[in-house]
Amino acid sequence: MDHFPTNWGRPRNDAFDAYGTYPIHQRAPVKDTFAEGVQHTQQPIVTGTSVLAIQYKDGIMMAADNLASYGSLARFKDVRRLHAVGTSTVIGASGDMSDFQAIQSILDDLVTDEFTHGDGHDLGPAEVHEYLSRVMYARRSKINPLWNSLLVGGFRDGKRFLGYVDLLGTTYSAPSIATGYGAYIAIPLLRAAVDGKQDQLTEENAKKILHECMRVLFYRDARSLDKYQIATVSAAGVTISDQIQIETAWGFAEGIRGYGAQTQ
Amino acid sequence: MPDGSFAHPQQRQFNPYTDNGGTILAIAGADFTVIAGDTRQSEGYSIQTRYAPKVFRLTDRAVLAVNGFAADGNMFVKKVKQRLEWYRHAHAKDMPLRAIARLIQTMLYAQRFFPYYVYNILGGIEEDGSGAVYSFDPVGSYEREACRAAGAAQSLVQPFLDNQIYFKNQKAAPGTSHPTHLPLSDVLSIVIDSFTSATERHIEVGDGLEIYVVVARGRSPQGIEGIRGVQELSAQPNGDRTFILRRELKKD
Amino acid sequence: MNSFLTRYSSTAPEADIRKAKELYGEDEDFSEVMWGSTGGFGNLASGVPMFKLPSVQDPASFLRMHTDDHADPSCRIKIKHGTTTLAFRFQGGVIVAVDSRATAGSYVASGTVKKVIEINPYLLGTMAGGAADCQYWETYLGIQCRLHELRNRERISVAAASKYLSNLVYSYKGMGLSMGTMICGWDKTGPAIFYVDSDGTRLKGDLFSVGSGSTFAYGVLDQGYRWDLTDEEAQELGRRSIYAAGHRDAFSGNTVNLYHVKQDGWKFIGNYDVSELHYNGPGDVPGAPGGGYGYDIRVAGRTSANPPEGEGQA
Repeated sequence: MDHFPTNWGRPRNDAFDAYGTYPIHQRAPVKDTFAEGVQHTQQPIVTGTSVLAIQYKDGIMMAADNLASYGSLARFKDVRRLHAVGTSTVIGASGDMSDFQAIQSILDDLVTDEFTHGDGHDLGPAEVHEYLSRVMYARRSKINPLWNSLLVGGFRDGKRFLGYVDLLGTTYSAPSIATGYGAYIAIPLLRAAVDGKQDQLTEENAKKILHECMRVLFYRDARSLDKYQIATVSAAGVTISDQIQIETAWGFAEGIRGYGAQTQ
Repeated sequence: MPDGSFAHPQQRQFNPYTDNGGTILAIAGADFTVIAGDTRQSEGYSIQTRYAPKVFRLTDRAVLAVNGFAADGNMFVKKVKQRLEWYRHAHAKDMPLRAIARLIQTMLYAQRFFPYYVYNILGGIEEDGSGAVYSFDPVGSYEREACRAAGAAQSLVQPFLDNQIYFKNQKAAPGTSHPTHLPLSDVLSIVIDSFTSATERHIEVGDGLEIYVVVARGRSPQGIEGIRGVQELSAQPNGDRTFILRRELKKD
Repeated sequence: MNSFLTRYSSTAPEADIRKAKELYGEDEDFSEVMWGSTGGFGNLASGVPMFKLPSVQDPASFLRMHTDDHADPSCRIKIKHGTTTLAFRFQGGVIVAVDSRATAGSYVASGTVKKVIEINPYLLGTMAGGAADCQYWETYLGIQCRLHELRNRERISVAAASKYLSNLVYSYKGMGLSMGTMICGWDKTGPAIFYVDSDGTRLKGDLFSVGSGSTFAYGVLDQGYRWDLTDEEAQELGRRSIYAAGHRDAFSGNTVNLYHVKQDGWKFIGNYDVSELHYNGPGDVPGAPGGGYGYDIRVAGRTSANPPEGEGQA
């Protein structure tokens, strides 16, 4: 402790022990021989970028490109970042892809367990979202996070559901949600097109809006790809599309100083 | 080190906390309590959603508002509700307000070394029928008060409440004195004004406002039923009554 | 079902619970008592408080990184701090006086804090440092004091109570607790004060002041203190000392709370607004000389605008 009385009662500074008063507790902590062998994710390695999702008239729609980056290297160009859970839910992941694979296997186990109970119940999107948020929060509380931002969407009993959960366990719902760069680039476009109009938006229009946003993201997000998939959940169930190619035109770059190849 | 720097090199590591903004407030009247919070949830400069409730009904006479890190807040409310349910199973009645306050202290303090980053305000009706507000810090120190604002705009709202509720720095007109408790209509006006003003001057406040009003058993709800958009949450009108009042706030 | 089978079965409800615990479960276990009347005292139900530690190499520096501290005023979790507290022993018992301000960083988080914690009718504790640490552990001390009474058919001595507290906080040494408290009371030996802090220091004495404003309080206290003060004089001295600290220390102020411990237990004397004390004094209370503590004596007739009689004309 600091014996300078004006500091008493104020935030203390334990980092400095003027009198060497920590004989017991400041000793080097007992170290497990294998402590170094068990490591927690401290940063994502192979990563996926934005996921976009919106509600529309008949359910929800979600889009994510097929790229998994290794730093700035476009490492894997056909990963699937949208994953169906049960019959009425889809999840989309950005962040660490190995953690996402762990989540997929946890959820697949869960769905199998529910099925084997054979009690006629299965999990809807709200349940999957709640479950995921508990898993993510528990892992952050162990300082061993699953390094992802996940979107959970679905349609069940005539109700849409769209929710978000991330590595901290933070959750929320909204008519349109995006992770990663999408939260900055796509969200303004999506909110203008979707929020408040969810009940009017047709499947065709919803697809068009997402397509536009994926194109804008491909133009501006250096970790994105021009191939993506769309998942649709409605009363008809979950469908995840084939890869969709984004058509791009870069001709305009020629006319912009500093954008294209020209020098001064 | 003597200069205040750390003795050991600090490793850059996972930060388990974030701040999701927003503001909550509660005001106790003679026989009612008003607990309110905005519904915006943000992270950094992004608005995540325009509707994420921060105020939760615990029992017929207790309402809890939580603010800070949303994941901690939601989990904390979940655990408080669980403990209150266990209490109901063991005692066949709701936990009284002052006991809930102590429960919240011990639950927060149990996380003394890995705190919930959550500011709690508990409002409701005491066993003697009086309105009460309890406010907590993240590790559980608490106090009963007449009013309290917490969260992003606490430093904007609390001075306003000090002036309007406690009449701080106000002199009563000669021959009169300040009232000890305000009527419900005045309190509601103060709450709504607090939030519209905070919305103007703080970027993390806005979108929607949820106001819970708990009125003691047998006391007049002072015309709240007539207010536009009021919804009653209580099951039977002869016990303590809870109302919810929703208002829009600016969304920019 | 056979318990061995249950343990390894992957379909029984127990297996579901086990699996859930692994995935999103907690390390904390709930005991039976949490269902019942001890519901309000959660993690104390088992007798020994249980705390969740963050699973990092060095929990103490984790806490330091995320809660406020000298080294990093910008960290997020602000814990309430504050204070001037004092207690002294004299022929008429013990006087305990405290201010009521709590600060979180530079924000005045509250001006109405009860910094005297009423442990039981014969014991008082004061609060300096972390507000939650003091509130929680002194409440816990109250439980242990009551258990002592039930087991031994007599009240716990102040010495024993304070030692209980100091041993307890010593066991958490280096973990980041922050409290500086005075345990005051009256036992078989008469009035007693023990200073206990979160480093494990425990000192018996006649006169203590703790907190950021303690130096100001000591200044007034030391020049006015005698063993044979009357009750009224002693109360006035306590009041004045806290007023002095509230006036000069930015982290102290708002109001003064005054307690007097006598043979038959403690008594709350009063609550006084520091500004009111400055301009008008405590009002008509025994021991007070009348008039404000600060304003008139500094200003009346002594400023250049309002010079003393005779001087102005010269």
